[in-house]
Amino acid sequence: MQLIAKLGILADAAKYDASCASSGAPKRNSRGGDGLGATNGMGICHSYTPDGRCVSLLKILLTNFCLYDCQYCVNRRSSNVPRARFSPEEVVRLTLDFYRRNCISGLFLSSGIIRSADYTMEQLIRVARLLREEHNFRGYIHLKTIPDADPLLIEEAGRLADRLSVNIELPTDESLQRLAPEKHAHTIRQAMGVIHQGQQAVANEPKAPRFTPAGQSTQVIVGADSTDDSTLLRNAESLYQGYGLKRVYYSAFSPIPDSPGSVPLAAPPLLREHRLYQADFLLRGYGYKAGELLGQAGNLALDIDPKLAWALANREVFPLDVNRAEPALLARIPGIGLRSVQRLVALRRERRIRYDDLIQLRCVLDKARPFIVTSDYRPAQAELRSGLLRARLREPQAPVQMGLWG
Amino acid sequence: MLLSHGVDPSQVTWSQGPVADLLAEAVALPEVQGPFRASIPAALLGQLEQASRYHGEQRWNFLYEVLWRVAHGDRTAMLAGDRLGSELHRRIKQVSREAHHLHAFLRFVPLPESLVGPLQLDLVAFHEPAHDILQSASGHFADRLGRLRWLIATPRDGIRFDGQAFDYQRQCPALWQQWARNAEDPGAELWRTYYRHTFNPARLNPDALRLHMPGRFWRHLPEGMLIPQLEGLARQGKQRDGQAQEVAAQGGKTISAMKRELLAAKPPTQ
Repeated sequence: MQLIAKLGILADAAKYDASCASSGAPKRNSRGGDGLGATNGMGICHSYTPDGRCVSLLKILLTNFCLYDCQYCVNRRSSNVPRARFSPEEVVRLTLDFYRRNCISGLFLSSGIIRSADYTMEQLIRVARLLREEHNFRGYIHLKTIPDADPLLIEEAGRLADRLSVNIELPTDESLQRLAPEKHAHTIRQAMGVIHQGQQAVANEPKAPRFTPAGQSTQVIVGADSTDDSTLLRNAESLYQGYGLKRVYYSAFSPIPDSPGSVPLAAPPLLREHRLYQADFLLRGYGYKAGELLGQAGNLALDIDPKLAWALANREVFPLDVNRAEPALLARIPGIGLRSVQRLVALRRERRIRYDDLIQLRCVLDKARPFIVTSDYRPAQAELRSGLLRARLREPQAPVQMGLWG
Repeated sequence: MLLSHGVDPSQVTWSQGPVADLLAEAVALPEVQGPFRASIPAALLGQLEQASRYHGEQRWNFLYEVLWRVAHGDRTAMLAGDRLGSELHRRIKQVSREAHHLHAFLRFVPLPESLVGPLQLDLVAFHEPAHDILQSASGHFADRLGRLRWLIATPRDGIRFDGQAFDYQRQCPALWQQWARNAEDPGAELWRTYYRHTFNPARLNPDALRLHMPGRFWRHLPEGMLIPQLEGLARQGKQRDGQAQEVAAQGGKTISAMKRELLAAKPPTQ
């Protein structure tokens, strides 16, 4: 089979993995030297496809032959898709060619499970080794980790790659048993643990060889089963705390061709995915707890963002005086982001903050107005009941498309 | 110089090229330093330098006004909450965004063997930045490309790297522009194939694409011409699942649990 035909099949097979980040790698460069590639911690999106997603890495599978039969996956063994397999040299050739053209900042390589977990992991490692050692490639490498692979192989991968990821896919044991019978929650967590230990072992050793310097990530599929947002967020929180994960990606289940009856046929729940990313960002960047964002079982509201939802549920905290409030509290005002908080704190050292300053800072005042006090402004809406406020602030909704899971 | 003479910003017009203001009355610039000694925070110089790369109305007048106000003790002119300061930060942001656009959307074309020797070049690119960022932002490519020799041409300036040193030209040599614009690229089809297949038509979101990758860059991207085409196909009812049509059209292959060991052991076909 021609290389270009394989590329078509194996890129198509890899597109359901949401992660494409190339950030967080250490400073490396090849200026004037052998080989190719640089990283400086900043990710670069080299293109965008019409689905609005960034293209930063060459994201492909080594092969889409797979022994597993995960119901949500287009590459499951019972799926009727064309199959292909790259040789490691072919992946290297594509990576270097696209890199020279400045189309990508690196490689994200995953694979169907062939022969055994160990064999598959060895093949992925072989590609990374060729790139790093034969071609002195200093660009970004993200390798998918096969959960059941030997911990020694996972450690080897961690020394070659900037990032490793083990996908959770389904957040409950029950769903895994039903939809991905060959996968097990405990081996997934074990693999995460191996990576976390590898990171800890070099954490305070500046001279030790690097181990996944850009961290580990995972992905959960949203909407392939009936798991609610509350479970997803609590799960994410425990992963951030327990395994030091850099990112949890949420991938709205995209219906697949030749779909089995066990997964929905509905359009992907994109707005729900968006709200989960917003909530996840509040966990990572703003110091919210999962329990604050969703106190009980259920899903995040779709018509308002989770920060506004928290503010509406905690009216006693507001209105906050922008000239006095602690930065951590300022960051909880809807419509005011972390960057604006920094700028407000810098400005109020020089003088009192007025309402117009918030306009200059491009804060989203439609959202912020009921929750703030400035030197020349008090909200008339402060007394307004949350229900009425919410009705005014909610985002217009597209007609509801009922999914199988509501 | 003007600052040291206490010349008010409203008295100065900064311009490049012929002056269009008919009412303007030329006054000669002072030749020696005036008496006013300004003290200016070091951070401001960096900020002004960044903002000076911005192409737009009042490019130099604006910078002088900021400098004037800060030099006379009003530091809020540097802060994003102020009217002038917010414009300063907007310009800095636009400039750094444009440098990022260069790093992201520039595409090199590898020259064929027959030209690599005679031109002493491996890669060429044509790019149209909106601000003057080529010189300050091109070091990035030297970091990435090892000993490869490359050239970037724009409608205004150009830069060339020979594996060791840069050659920056304020006015891009016509020959550089020709090489960069007319480079043939049969290998681009591989990248276009990847682009078509990594796109998920079930998640069509053309507004997000346009927000992050403005249309002005598309014409120099090998994948640019695919964008409207893929959007059109996705709208024609391909939104239900994520597979590309070319893949769906090919014969599929399920793996029986019985045969799976055998199949999996098959060596890769070259």
